[in-house]
Amino acid sequence: MLYYFYDGSFDGLLTAIYQAYYRGETPSRIVAAGDFQESLLAEKVYIRTETEQSQRVYVSIQTKISRQALRNVFYVYLSELPDAGTWIYEYLRLGWKIGKEFDRMLSDGRVLRVHKISQRVNGERHRMMGLIRFRCLEGNIYYAPISPQYNIVGLVIPHFLDRFPGQNWIIHDVNRKIGVFYNGETWSLGDMDLENEIELSNGEKLYQSLWKEYFKSIAIKDRVNPKLQKRNLPVRYWRFLIEKGQ
Amino acid sequence: MELLDKLKILADAAKYDVSCSSSGSNKKNKKDGLGNSCYSGICHSWADDGRCISLLKILFTNHCIYDCTYCINRVSNAVPRATFTPDELVDITINFYKRNYIEGLFLSSAVLKNPNYTMELMLEAVRKLREQENFNGYIHLKAIPGADNYLIERAGKYVDRMSVNIEFPSERSLKLLAPQKERETIIRPMSFISSKIIEGIEDKRKYKKAFDFVPAGQTTQLIVGATPDNDANILRLSEALYKRFSLKRVYYSAYVPVSSHPNLPSISAPPLVREHRLYQADWLLRFYGFNAHELLNETHQNFDIDLDPKCDWALRNIHLFPVEVNYADYELLLRIPGVGVKSARRIIASRRFGSLDYADLNKLGVVLKRARYFITCKGRYYGGINMDVHSIKEQLLINAKNSRSLDSGEQVSLFSLYPDLLSTGDKLSSITGEL
Ligand code: SF4
Repeated sequence: MLYYFYDGSFDGLLTAIYQAYYRGETPSRIVAAGDFQESLLAEKVYIRTETEQSQRVYVSIQTKISRQALRNVFYVYLSELPDAGTWIYEYLRLGWKIGKEFDRMLSDGRVLRVHKISQRVNGERHRMMGLIRFRCLEGNIYYAPISPQYNIVGLVIPHFLDRFPGQNWIIHDVNRKIGVFYNGETWSLGDMDLENEIELSNGEKLYQSLWKEYFKSIAIKDRVNPKLQKRNLPVRYWRFLIEKGQ
Repeated sequence: MELLDKLKILADAAKYDVSCSSSGSNKKNKKDGLGNSCYSGICHSWADDGRCISLLKILFTNHCIYDCTYCINRVSNAVPRATFTPDELVDITINFYKRNYIEGLFLSSAVLKNPNYTMELMLEAVRKLREQENFNGYIHLKAIPGADNYLIERAGKYVDRMSVNIEFPSERSLKLLAPQKERETIIRPMSFISSKIIEGIEDKRKYKKAFDFVPAGQTTQLIVGATPDNDANILRLSEALYKRFSLKRVYYSAYVPVSSHPNLPSISAPPLVREHRLYQADWLLRFYGFNAHELLNETHQNFDIDLDPKCDWALRNIHLFPVEVNYADYELLLRIPGVGVKSARRIIASRRFGSLDYADLNKLGVVLKRARYFITCKGRYYGGINMDVHSIKEQLLINAKNSRSLDSGEQVSLFSLYPDLLSTGDKLSSITGEL
C-alpha cells in the first residue's frame, strides 16, 4: 500500500496528483499531512508542493476534462473531508481516461461520490449567502462571524462584492481562523484571529432588536412548527444568527 | 410611539400574506449602489412556523377606513394601530439590508384616509429607497385598490414586482365580506399594470434606456375557505388571470379565522390541505398543459382532499390509461401521475438510444409509487393489481398514508413555505415532487 501526503493546500493536492502520474505510481490514498492516523503497513511518500506542477494539473483538468470537473474538484477539496484527496484523485483518473462525458456516469461510485460532496459544499455556500449576519462595528465596518461546516468563506466573496460594493466588510470563519476583508475597493482572503472583543457601533443594538422583534412577529402562531424550522435551518447555524443567538 | 412597537404591530399585521417570493429579477448592482437581486432568490432565515424569511414583509400602516370582515385590520376591530413615516421605513429597510438580514422589501398597506393618500406615502418610501439611498435590492409593492393609475404607474418604475390582491373568486363573495371594495377597483389596476408591463417590454426593444416597468412581473393573492366558492370557481379564475393579465403567480392563502361574523364560516383551523391542492392544480395549469375545465367542472367541483389533483384526474379518465412509456409523446407523458416535467423530458431524451426498461424509469426520476398503476413498459403492466379505478385508488391512498406518516404530515402547505425559488420548468420537481 502506497500513501501520498501533501501539505493540505490545493496546490499540494494537485502536485501529488502530478507526481503520481510522473512516477507511474498509483497511490491508494492521498491525504493531507495532519489528517491521517499513522499506519505501519503503508509505504509513505511526502510530496513537496510545486506550483509549477500543480498549475499543469489545473490546466489539464480544465482543458482535457472540463471546467465543471475543475469546479467539482475544488469544491470537494473545500469539504476538507479526510478522504477528499483520494476521491478527487480517483475521479480525475477516470475523467482523463474518458473525457468530459464522464460526469454523466452517475452509476459509477467515483463520479457519484464527488458530485454528492460537491453539491453539499455548494449547498452550504448558497445557504450562507442568506445566513451571514453583519454587525456594524465602530468605524463603520460590517463584521460577520461564521462557522460553516465546509471551508466556503472564499466562495461567497463574489456575491457580497456585488451586493455591498461601497461598504467595508469582513467575513470571519472563526473556527478555521481565516477571513475575507473588503475595504470598498479591494478584497483579500487571509488568516484572521480576533484578540480583542469587537466593539459595536452605536446604532447596532437598535437594529438587532428590531430584527429580533420582526423575526418573532412574522411567525404565524397557529402554524408553529419547530421541526420544519430546524430542517430548513439546522441548529448548527444558529450560533451567529442575531435572531436565534444569545 | 417607539419604532420597535411600530415594527411589531405592522409586521404582525402583514404576516398573513403568503407570498415571500423574491425571485425573477436579476438586477446588477449599479456602481456605488447598494445591493443586487439574485435570480434564484435567497432565504435569510426561517421563522418559527417554518416559513422562509426573505423579504421585510410589512405594512405601511394598519389604520384602515374599510371594514372587510375577514381582516384583523378592519376599522371595527379593536387592535393597536401604527403608521410608519417614509423615512422610518427607508431606514429600517436599508439597515436590515446592509446587515444581510433580508433580500429586500415587501410593502403592503391598509387604507389610511383614502387610497391615493396611502399610495402616495408608499410611493414616497420606494422613491427614496431607489433615488436617495441608491438601493438596488428587491422591492415588491402591493398596489392599493382604488388608487389612481398615475400613482401606480410612477410606483411601477421603482419596484420589481407589483400585485393587487383579488381577495375572492367571485363578486358576490367580495360584496359579502369586503363591502367597500369593488371588483372594478381591483381588476382595473391589474389590467393597467399588465398593459404597462407589455408597453415597457416594447419600449425596451426600441430604446435601450427605457425604464423597466415591474421587471419581475405581477402577482395576486386570493383567500381560500372564507367563502362558499368552490375549487372549480377558483381554478377557472386563476386560469383567466394567467391568460388575460399574464400574471407571474396566483397565491392562495388558507383563511385564518380571525373573527366571528355571521358571514364567515366557523372553522377552527385554516384549510391548509385545500390550499395545497390548489397550488398543485395551479402547477398543472402552468406547466403541465392542463386546463381548468379538465381538472374540475360542474359535476366535479372540488378536489379530493386525499388525492393530488393529477391522480384525481387520471382516475376519472382511466380510459386513457395505461400509457406505454416507450411510445407516448411528451404531452401525454406529462399527464401520467408520478411523471414530472423533468422526468418526461428525460424519458424522451433517453428513448432515442433504445427503448426503456421498467428499471430505468426510477433512475429517470419517475415516481413509481404513483406511476406504476398508469403505465405499461414494453407492453407489460407493473401495477400488480387490477387496472380498475377502485383498486388503484385504494393503493394510492395506502401509499400516500405511508409516506405521510414518515413525514408526520408536514408536507401540508408546502407551497406557502417555499419562496418562489425556482421558476423555470427544469427545477420544478424539487419543489413539487413530481406530480
Ligand atoms: S382594506 Fe385591506 S386592510 Fe383594510 S380592512 Fe380591508 S383587507 Fe383589511
